[in-house]
Amino acid sequence: MKYYEFGDKTGRYVGRTEKYDVYASTLAGIGKDEDDHEERTPGEIYFNYGPSAGGLRESVNFSILTPGEAIRDVIINSGFKRRNIRITGDSISDVMLKVERINGFHSASHSIAYALAVEDALNVDNSDLNDARIVEIELERIRSNIDVIKGLCESAGFAVPEKQLLLLREEVARIISTAFGHRYYFSVNGINSVDGDFSRITLNSVEKQFRSLYDGLLSSKIFLDRIQENGIVSDPLSTGPAARAANFRYDARLDSGSLNYGKYSTVMESSGDTFSRFLVRAEEILESINIIESYDIKKIYRKNRMELNGSGEGTARIESPAGDLFYYVKINEGRIMDIQMSSPSYLNMRNFRYALKNGNIFTDFFFVWESFGIWISELEVRFQ
Amino acid sequence: MGKLRHLDIGTGGEVSVNWFINGVKKRIKTEKLDKYNLMYPSILEGVSDYNCPTEAINNGKWNMDKCIFCRQCDLNPTGKQDTYSIDQKIPGIFKKSLYLYPVDSGTCGACNVEFTTLFSPQYDSSRFKIFMANTPRHADALVVMGVHTEGMEQILREAYDAMPEPKIVIGLGACALSGGIIGRSAMEKYDIRIAGCPPTPASILNAIIEARGKK
Amino acid sequence: MIYYYIPLITVFLAALVSIRYRTAGYIITAIASGLFFLLTFRIFDYITYFYLIAAIVWIITSVFSISYSKRYGGWLAPLFILTIAGMMTILYANNFLVFITGWEIMSIPAYLTVAINKKNDIEAYVFMLFSEISTVLIITAAVLSYYYTATLNFTGLSNDIVLLIFAIGAMSKMGLTPFMISEWLPIAHGSAPANSSAIFSATMTLMGVYGILKIALLSPVSIDIGVLFIIIGVISVLFGALYAYISENMKSLGGFSTIENNGVLMAAIGLFIAVSDNVLKEFILISIAIFAMAHSIAKTGLFMSIGHTGVEYFSAVKEERDPVNQIGKFFAVSSLSGLFPSLGGLGTWMVLESFFMGAYLYGPLGIASIIGGSLIAMGEGFATAAMLKIFYFTDNSRKSRGKNLENYTILGTGITLVFLFAVSFLIVGKSYISGIPTVLVFNGFMIESRLGISDFGLITPLYIVVLLGVFTLIVFSVFGRPKTRTTVSWNGGIEQGEHYNSFTYSNNIRLILKRILRTKNTDVSKVETVDIFWMIMINIARAYRNFAKFTAYKIMNSSISAYIIYMIAAFILVIIIVSLV
Repeated sequence: MKYYEFGDKTGRYVGRTEKYDVYASTLAGIGKDEDDHEERTPGEIYFNYGPSAGGLRESVNFSILTPGEAIRDVIINSGFKRRNIRITGDSISDVMLKVERINGFHSASHSIAYALAVEDALNVDNSDLNDARIVEIELERIRSNIDVIKGLCESAGFAVPEKQLLLLREEVARIISTAFGHRYYFSVNGINSVDGDFSRITLNSVEKQFRSLYDGLLSSKIFLDRIQENGIVSDPLSTGPAARAANFRYDARLDSGSLNYGKYSTVMESSGDTFSRFLVRAEEILESINIIESYDIKKIYRKNRMELNGSGEGTARIESPAGDLFYYVKINEGRIMDIQMSSPSYLNMRNFRYALKNGNIFTDFFFVWESFGIWISELEVRFQ
Repeated sequence: MGKLRHLDIGTGGEVSVNWFINGVKKRIKTEKLDKYNLMYPSILEGVSDYNCPTEAINNGKWNMDKCIFCRQCDLNPTGKQDTYSIDQKIPGIFKKSLYLYPVDSGTCGACNVEFTTLFSPQYDSSRFKIFMANTPRHADALVVMGVHTEGMEQILREAYDAMPEPKIVIGLGACALSGGIIGRSAMEKYDIRIAGCPPTPASILNAIIEARGKK
Repeated sequence: MIYYYIPLITVFLAALVSIRYRTAGYIITAIASGLFFLLTFRIFDYITYFYLIAAIVWIITSVFSISYSKRYGGWLAPLFILTIAGMMTILYANNFLVFITGWEIMSIPAYLTVAINKKNDIEAYVFMLFSEISTVLIITAAVLSYYYTATLNFTGLSNDIVLLIFAIGAMSKMGLTPFMISEWLPIAHGSAPANSSAIFSATMTLMGVYGILKIALLSPVSIDIGVLFIIIGVISVLFGALYAYISENMKSLGGFSTIENNGVLMAAIGLFIAVSDNVLKEFILISIAIFAMAHSIAKTGLFMSIGHTGVEYFSAVKEERDPVNQIGKFFAVSSLSGLFPSLGGLGTWMVLESFFMGAYLYGPLGIASIIGGSLIAMGEGFATAAMLKIFYFTDNSRKSRGKNLENYTILGTGITLVFLFAVSFLIVGKSYISGIPTVLVFNGFMIESRLGISDFGLITPLYIVVLLGVFTLIVFSVFGRPKTRTTVSWNGGIEQGEHYNSFTYSNNIRLILKRILRTKNTDVSKVETVDIFWMIMINIARAYRNFAKFTAYKIMNSSISAYIIYMIAAFILVIIIVSLV
């Protein structure tokens, strides 16, 4: 474990695995959470939404405490689609197939984080893949952020930009598929290996189209009115774009050693509302395009199928599109014995609740929900 | 109103985009279904004795419902986007309108995204008179995605019960059909099985169009 | 001539009988009420329509009480019947003395009902306080009338001051602004059984309307008093309907609804007083009669429905449905909402039409009339919402203990309302019935409202009922039985854990009308409304009670309730003796 050790909390809080609370460079035992849900008073109801309903992409249930219009609190039950994934005793490469499918939309982040953790455990030198992996993750970030902004437009019933962003998302998916052979980076990453033709990544058209959409959205007063000053949250326990939108300079690209970004500037906003999260997401798309273009890789990587043997523990923490993604692996004789994964959706879900109960009404719900870009699939997964 | 820092916001018509004109200016982006093909997933050919982790290759025979298209074996992709099997034709009553209701039983999210891609300008499922319903009570077809999970088992059954007759069930992706590499299948029987991990939007549309029969 | 008074004598006898034989007492009361109607009702003598209303309510409540009053002690039946006897005396009265005697005979048993069934003695005192205020004012009016006309008989008056004082007295009994809580406070606090609530709300307040109308018929036209009454009426309508809508106590909702309806009647009486055109005057009089009829009968049904739930608050109602109960309740609430096909729909239309016709009068009265009409229409909208609340949130049918009689009386109320709606062309004066054959509205099928341009009116309800029936049959015979499918509701795939409750139902208005309703969102957690009228009235009642206690301890050291009864009984005796002499 090059970057982590077991111990007390140090630095910022990153997330929670099944067994540990993850901090910037330590793994601590799970602390106690206080139940701070609001008490129901006479006349208030729990409005039920989900787990299977129109407007929800994944199965999750919200019980919204309300006296009629205002949202006073929300009880989130995301456990409906909890998947139990058997990994104990599997080979490293078989587990990779499963890790890719923890969150298909952020598959590059998950598979690279897992690969980095395994490389850390087995002391494999991976420095020559650093740039290629960064390009993969940033390309995935572009698509993910487009999807979040698309969600905001959808919530506003803003059909033209929504469809155009959908078009753009599909175009990025096709770029990924052309370069890596799969639209979701499945079977692209391996231990110390990447499979892809980086010369085929061209983002000029995407950048042009996105800039025009972004300018258009910023000049639409109606759209801005809907997302400004709703869902305000400013909590030091936050991660990813949501943290950066509330003026917390939290970014694994800055403070994690797993991937080396070199010189890199973070996009920051200060209001902590849905609009700030929208701005951060949008600016990060442009930032990611810059990063990819600055590396300018024109190389074709091919996968090497080496079976690894060895034992050890390793960790990795990278910045997935929604925030810090942490992996811990324990390997015994080339077999995975334990995986501890902390996804950004854990902290984002927590902050979503605080943002939602902060003086919002029913119509704000979707804006707040979409702006965090939460994936239940990575939140509700148990390794066995 | 929050303030717009470091952004050049114009004050008049010069930067304000009329979204309607913007939409028209982009012209038609809808494509024919065979315009964009990809290798994974697509129909695989050849023989292989690879020890498949999902048992998609059994005695040399390839079972696409179980395949997660992991590119480890020696089978060759053909690029054909018809990775589906139709067990039951869609009743003729749905020729002019078919409403889909997706249920996420336990997905990784990829199938969900591919399902929403059906409504993107490139695929535009509305031209095939395929739409999305917001409740199973308005739905004609149940689209099941993801592996079996304890929490969603009952909900999946109730969604099916809530649908009016006639109704069909579409299984989307390796997880729903066979459990893929993650778990076991979400439902026992499907009328239309669309393989792939995840299936491509073109293959989903092809499957529905073929199951419905030509007009 | 003595046979004319047989019903009155029978009711007093029924009160005596009921001390021993409860059921017999109620049955005799019902029969006496029927006789009373047969002997006194004269078609197109609109003031006798009040007899019809009262008789219907008394019959229904008496039948309802046979089963209902088993929940209470033996004291309820005599007091209940005596209250009816008092009201009947009022209706028989042709001079002030008999009127006041009836007024007191009506009030004292009512006071006792509240006092014996008390949960807290403040309600009984509030009730008594306002009864006495009204009595004092009515006596004052009688004295003034004697001063002007030299007789206590109801005779023509040349001065409107008697009307004003009498009306304020009656209004304090009707619970109109600014005496908004006099009636419903005891009702709301569950201090009165539902059958008593029904007659308090449906007929006791009707006596106020009857009295005012009686004096108004004798008084000269007065625009000032008319407009004043319109203003009082309109304010009562708006506040009554609003408070009814946000009320969580079912009986309280009924009480507020009564205030709202009495407000409409008061405003209509105001218009009646102010208008000099005889055609319009008669139309308004018919409107008042029909509206009062609809209100009293429907309100009886409403209180019976509420009483049938066996609880006081919406939150305590258990959800079980009984179609018999529901049908009756449906027509009762549709009538109180001013909707077809119940009598209330016709009554509301006629009252609103009266006001809008008043616009042809021009001048301040025309303006007051059209504004008043619009505000009443708005109040009726709130009332509809309040009534829907009653309809949705009072489903509770406890099938044991022979309660079915209760359900059928509720159904009876509903059917009565629809029946009266259908035959309403018989009770509207003949000169207002016409038709426009060119548009298939044949002669005799239109209630015409004519002041300005003719040929405007309402197709008679019978025509509507017949058309509805015919079209339903045609549709049914062409398309056959509709295909239906029942499924469970989809709640995101999980069990329905939460139901839309009555508080949430009316919470939108609590939040929107924050300023008027004084909604407090205490530390963003609890929504509550403070009723300003309630607080003022409670304070007055407290002062009255303290005063009464103080004097009681000074004069005699015994039960103050008994003392008050003694005083009033003595007073009645004196009046009776004086009137006989």
